[in-house]
Amino acid sequence: MSNEILIGLEIHVQLNTATKLFCSCATQGSEDPNTRTCPTCLGMPGSKPILNKAAVEKALKLCLAADCTIAPELIFSRKSYFYPDMSKNYQITQYELPLGTGGSIKLAKDKSISLIRIHMEEDPASLAHLGSMEKSPYTLVDYNRSGNPLVEIVTKPDMHSSDEARQFMKKLITLLEYLEIFDINSGIIKADVNVNIKPYPRVEIKNVTGFKEIQRAIEYELSRQKQELKEKKKATQHTRNWNSEKGITTMLRSKETEEEYGYIIDPDLTVTDITDPMLQKLKAELPELAEEKINKFTKTLNVAEDHAKIISTDKAMAELLERAAKQVAPDLAAKWIRRELNRVLNYNKKKLKDLDFDEENFFKLLKLIEKKTITDTTAQKLLEQFIVKPFDIAKYVKDKKLEAVSDSGSLEKFCQEAIKENPDAVNDYKSGNEKALHFLTGQVMRKTKGQATPGEVNGILVSLLK
Amino acid sequence: MKIDESMLKHVAEVARLKLTEAEIKKFLPELKEVLDTFSKISEVDTKNTTSSYQPVPLKNALREDKPKQCLTQEQALSLTTHKKEGYFKGPKAV
Amino acid sequence: MPSVTTFVKKVHSGEINVVEHTAKVLQEAKKLNREYHYYNTICEPLAKQQARAIKKNPKGRLAGVPVSVKDAICVQGVESTAGSKILKGYKPLFDATVIQRLKKEGAIIIGKTAQDAFGFGSFSTNVGLDMKAPINPLDPTRACGGSSGGSAGITQLTQYPHLSLGESTGGSIAAPASFCGIPALCPTYGKISRYGLMDYANSLDKIGPMGKTIEDIALLLEIIAGHDPKDSTSLTSKTESYSKSLTKADHHIGIIKETLGKGTDPKIKDMVLNTIDESEIKHASVSLPLTQKYGVSTYFLLAMAEASTNLAKYCGMRYGKHETLKGSFNEYFSKVRSHNLNEESKRRIMIGTFARMAGYRDAFYLKATKIRTKIIEEYKKLFKTYDVLASPTMPIIAPTFKEIEKLTPLQHYMMDTMTVGPNLAGLPHMNVTIGEKDGMPVGLLLIADHEQESTLLKAAKVIENVE
Repeated sequence: MSNEILIGLEIHVQLNTATKLFCSCATQGSEDPNTRTCPTCLGMPGSKPILNKAAVEKALKLCLAADCTIAPELIFSRKSYFYPDMSKNYQITQYELPLGTGGSIKLAKDKSISLIRIHMEEDPASLAHLGSMEKSPYTLVDYNRSGNPLVEIVTKPDMHSSDEARQFMKKLITLLEYLEIFDINSGIIKADVNVNIKPYPRVEIKNVTGFKEIQRAIEYELSRQKQELKEKKKATQHTRNWNSEKGITTMLRSKETEEEYGYIIDPDLTVTDITDPMLQKLKAELPELAEEKINKFTKTLNVAEDHAKIISTDKAMAELLERAAKQVAPDLAAKWIRRELNRVLNYNKKKLKDLDFDEENFFKLLKLIEKKTITDTTAQKLLEQFIVKPFDIAKYVKDKKLEAVSDSGSLEKFCQEAIKENPDAVNDYKSGNEKALHFLTGQVMRKTKGQATPGEVNGILVSLLK
Repeated sequence: MKIDESMLKHVAEVARLKLTEAEIKKFLPELKEVLDTFSKISEVDTKNTTSSYQPVPLKNALREDKPKQCLTQEQALSLTTHKKEGYFKGPKAV
Repeated sequence: MPSVTTFVKKVHSGEINVVEHTAKVLQEAKKLNREYHYYNTICEPLAKQQARAIKKNPKGRLAGVPVSVKDAICVQGVESTAGSKILKGYKPLFDATVIQRLKKEGAIIIGKTAQDAFGFGSFSTNVGLDMKAPINPLDPTRACGGSSGGSAGITQLTQYPHLSLGESTGGSIAAPASFCGIPALCPTYGKISRYGLMDYANSLDKIGPMGKTIEDIALLLEIIAGHDPKDSTSLTSKTESYSKSLTKADHHIGIIKETLGKGTDPKIKDMVLNTIDESEIKHASVSLPLTQKYGVSTYFLLAMAEASTNLAKYCGMRYGKHETLKGSFNEYFSKVRSHNLNEESKRRIMIGTFARMAGYRDAFYLKATKIRTKIIEEYKKLFKTYDVLASPTMPIIAPTFKEIEKLTPLQHYMMDTMTVGPNLAGLPHMNVTIGEKDGMPVGLLLIADHEQESTLLKAAKVIENVE
């Protein structure tokens, strides 16, 4: 009997605004330390915070998309604690009244992860060290990140395996990309992970950065707790640190020594009304989300569910399919986008939205495939080149004479030639050796310079050798 | 409401104040007296009263998402000697 | 004593040589400072540079006027410490908005005035470690009042036209004005930008004009008031020409009866009542039972709770006092703070931390925010009938330093009993000198409804004209 696993996540996502949450310093640009700072994000006495309107709108979009109950007003609090990365030794965050409560993110037909809350807060600075954190005589602080706008998404402990946690993270990232509130290339995702195997109490792993690390940390902690359970060790509710280098979690502090955050409403900021007209406007700006696209693809366009699901994880790809489905059979387009386009993009380590993608010519390629003017193999090769640098597909095919040899007349001729030229192979095949047929197929393919479909050649050979 | 030495030390620690024995001796009776008087506010009936976090109604102070001129690295670091290669130097994080 | 306006006219015309005049003002400032300690910093090079610029281009409604600035207000490139040792060496990289507005009108910033560290005090005796308390201009054995003590002192004592920027959280403009015998106004919360003001309590801090005459402070108010997009809590209402609104009007004054009880010097009580009688302004006795009974406790709990978060940033990183980087961050922070914060700062940080701690937060911090609502309601009810409320500014005349030493912290806090009310409620209020007792000035406090600074100034003029 395996014990129940409970996993809850508190995820911090950096919103892709141009400026920070409470000051007009740029969130992108120079990566040299302390080159995007001002008195406000440096916590200099006399400076004051002013709320970024775009950050509020982006956070609201997330709350709307996740079906949260939205607060009637936005109120910020000061969370006091001392640390070298805190420019004011308090963080401006939300405590009493988070922007969104409840809501959920759907994983599959019958499984959703419930959310407890979504709220806004500012990022602390980033720390660097000479050598390891433990051995360094001092900390090096870079305030470029200080004051970046974050949303924190807190889930219920609804995930029961590291795989479910991974699925959730993937769905979340897809949602963030669809909403265009998070930049996957430059934005940071961090999480506090709450995980326990019953009957052990909750263990919190603090500050794990990045999708992969969150997975690794969960997997390590589950195996650690499993081991402790096996050894019948006692456990307390406590906080741990994830050491990425060593791939282990270590104890930080027990529950008794929890920080006294001493929350007060931040008196330097005003209340922001969240009105119905404001929400209506933002709702109208929400794009069609992944779930809706999957529905549309499967129900209206009769695309295979598998293809639909995978394509919909990438907004640019989903939108490409919508347009491609007007040019060729939807399922063909889906198959080629889901398998071949993805394959080539992954190989080149690129995302569709980052490419200067020549859609016109891509559709032409699909049409050639559909018409069987070129073989699948040829199409694959063309696509590989096309991603690196786009070109006129139709012209190229014509110029290089890449049209498929698919008229049965010439194909049969090549087959008969191959049979004549390879009597040993023919005899092998007739004696029951299937491999000999592959050899013969290979010979025919050579003659057609690859411009034939192996399956078809196979079929003709078999009938000729009967 | 109990204000004793251990509570005082705890509060001082939360506030990152290291008090001397003399300071603790001095502060304890003073804080007791002050907090005893202040706690009389419990006599006021505030059952149906909302909080005023500011004394005048202030709402919706927002700013456009446009980057403005920020400090140069040199300016940012100009008020301290605790710096190294463009970074601020701070005390150990563990 | 020429008013600021007359002085400015002479600077524009060239009748006054602003460079020579400024040199004399600086000379006087340095001389007085040796004895009276009004300035933490006298910014001679900046002042001389500004004077030269004005001489070349004599423009601005405050052209050539010497202005002193409470040390908690940031002046770019000038050491600004908020009266605390922990900020020694902090030379802000920016001007406070009020300073920008002053400079734009040609004012000459003479120096940063002495104060209780961070505003924590009613006598300017809680100055920072290694700093000296300013001395009352009329009696060297007595304090100036606080926390804007240096501002009040120099304004009274200087023989030249002078304006000063003070700051009030619980009474720190009115109290020193009362003890030093000058007019001063604390405006509606949000009327004057707090951008560049080092925080004591963000929902209570207000910068305000202090001067030698009511006309002078009206002009200063007009110049520095008004919306500032850099301060989220800045009021967006239109600016007014306060200097042009010192016309006669009818008033109905409510004299707050709880402020005339046994806690107040009987002579002061008599002076307040007589002055209002003789002014012939319609008046009546009014009551503010909740405010007067619970105002001090409510104020201090709220102010200290906010202050304890504001002062957390002072930990020896990025600016101000540093120490050698040794030990863990908790050890380093505690060391810097313990070595450089004065006793009262520590006291208030602790009370404020306690007031917002889990388990106490509801009973202290949250409760105080609710009582504040009720206090505002109490004032608003009265303002339906009366346009000005009155009380003594302080229950006593300026105390001696010896008397102050004998006070417990609680007794010290109770001194603010007249001024915490309007400060908590964000109401504009003014000190007007109405006479003397034992050679020391006695001040009358006038309170008006939100954004009724004009009403306040008008009423103050009437009071001032009473013999």
